[in-house]
Amino acid sequence: MKIRILRNDGSKQWWQEYSEEPHKGATVLDVLLNIRETQDHTLAFRHSCQMGSCGSCGMVINGKPSLACQTRITELKSETIRIEPLYSYPVIKDLVVDLNDFVNKHRSVKPYIIRKNPQELEEAPMEFRVTSRENMNFIQYDYCIMCGLCVAACPTVALDPQFTGPQALAQAYRYIADPRDEGFQERQPELDTSHGVWRCHFAGSCSFVCPKGVDPAKAIQLLKREILKRKFVRGPRAGAPASVLVQPEKPISNPPKAPPLDFKMGVNQNE
Amino acid sequence: MNKRFKSGLLTSLNPTRYNLERWSYTLHRITGVILALFLIAHIFEIYHVTLGIAGWDQTMAELSNLGVIELIGMWIIAGSALYHGANGLRLILNEVFGLLLGKPRLPEYPYSPLSLGRNQKIAIYVITLIVVALWIWAGLYLLAGLGIVRW
Ligand code: SF4
Ligand code: FES
Repeated sequence: MKIRILRNDGSKQWWQEYSEEPHKGATVLDVLLNIRETQDHTLAFRHSCQMGSCGSCGMVINGKPSLACQTRITELKSETIRIEPLYSYPVIKDLVVDLNDFVNKHRSVKPYIIRKNPQELEEAPMEFRVTSRENMNFIQYDYCIMCGLCVAACPTVALDPQFTGPQALAQAYRYIADPRDEGFQERQPELDTSHGVWRCHFAGSCSFVCPKGVDPAKAIQLLKREILKRKFVRGPRAGAPASVLVQPEKPISNPPKAPPLDFKMGVNQNE
Repeated sequence: MNKRFKSGLLTSLNPTRYNLERWSYTLHRITGVILALFLIAHIFEIYHVTLGIAGWDQTMAELSNLGVIELIGMWIIAGSALYHGANGLRLILNEVFGLLLGKPRLPEYPYSPLSLGRNQKIAIYVITLIVVALWIWAGLYLLAGLGIVRW
C-alpha cells in the first residue's frame, strides 16, 4: 500500500511516498507511527491519546479532514492514501500546523460563563440551577475537543482568514445558550460583524467532518437567530432568566467531608 | 493573486468528499457571481435609456435579436436567478428562523449531525426539482424566441 504524505520543512513542500503493509484494523496513525519508527524518523506529526479524545492528530486524509487515530485504513477503501496537513492553517513542519490563530479565536468569544456581577462567580450567593432540559440546549457543544477539523473543512475560512470560524462560534453559542450566562453584550462585538457569525454561509462541512458530533453548523445558525432575536425582538440586555439563581436545598458553604485517603488501597495494597 | 488566496479559493470551491449542503453552498456562490456580473451588464443596458427614445429603441432591437451563444448565456442567467433565489429561501429558513436544523441533543455514536439531516436534504431535493422544472420551462421559452419551439 502506498502512503503519500505532503511534507514541508518550513520553506518548501513536496510529496513523499512510503510503502507500508498495515495490519488489518490499523489506523492511519498506526501507519504513520510505523513509518516514523522503521522508515523515516524525520516525519513530524502530532498525536497523544490515540482514542479520539485529545484532538491532536487532525490531518487531511484522502481529501477529508479527519483524526488519524479514528480513521481505519480499511475504511478508506483505496490502495493509495494521501495525507496532507490541515487546510487553512500555517504549516510548521510536515503534518504539524500552527494552531495559535485557532486558539486565539476561541479565546476571543470569551468561552466561559459571564455574570454581570463577577463576584457571583467567586462567592455564589445562591445555587445556579440548570434544568436538564436547558442543559440539552448546549451540552452538545461541550463535546468539542478542539481538534480544528471543522476549520480545515470550512470553505469560508479558506477565503477569509479573519472569519471567527466554526469552532469558536459554536463555543460562543454554547455559552450564550447557557441560562447562567449574562455575557451576550460582551460577546456581541466579536460575533455580530461581517467577519463573525454573518460570514458563515452554511456549507455544513464543519458538522460533516466533526469527529465528536458537535454540529457547529447548527450552533452558528442558532446563534444568528439568537442575535437577530436579541437585536430586534427581545432587546440586547435580555440576560439570564430570573429562575437560574435558586436557593439551594442544602447550604452550599457546608460541602460534605470526603473520607480521609486510605493509601492501603489501590497500588500500594501489597506493601 | 497571492498564494494563500489561491489555495484558499481551490479549497473553497471544491465540494467533492463533503456533504450535499456543501454542493449547495458551492452552487450558491457560483450563481451569485454570475448574477453579480449580470447585474453590472444590466445596469449598462438600462443606461441606454439616457440616450433618448431612438437610442433605447435601438438597444431593444439589438437585444431582441440574440444569437445562440447569447441565448445560452440568458438561459444560464435564468438558471442562476432561479437557483440562487430558491436556495436563498432555504437559507433564510435556516439562518433567521432556525428551521430544518433539528434540536440540539446529546451526540451519540455514530454521529450524524441533525443540521445536515433529513429535513435539510428534503428541502434541497425539493428546491432542485422546482428549479430544474422552471429552468427547463425558461429554456423552452428562449427556444420559442428563436422560433425552434412553438410556444
Ligand atoms: S467542533 Fe468538532 S471539528 Fe470543530 S474543533 Fe470541536 S470537535 Fe473538532
Ligand atoms: S491522538 Fe488524540 S485524537 Fe487522535
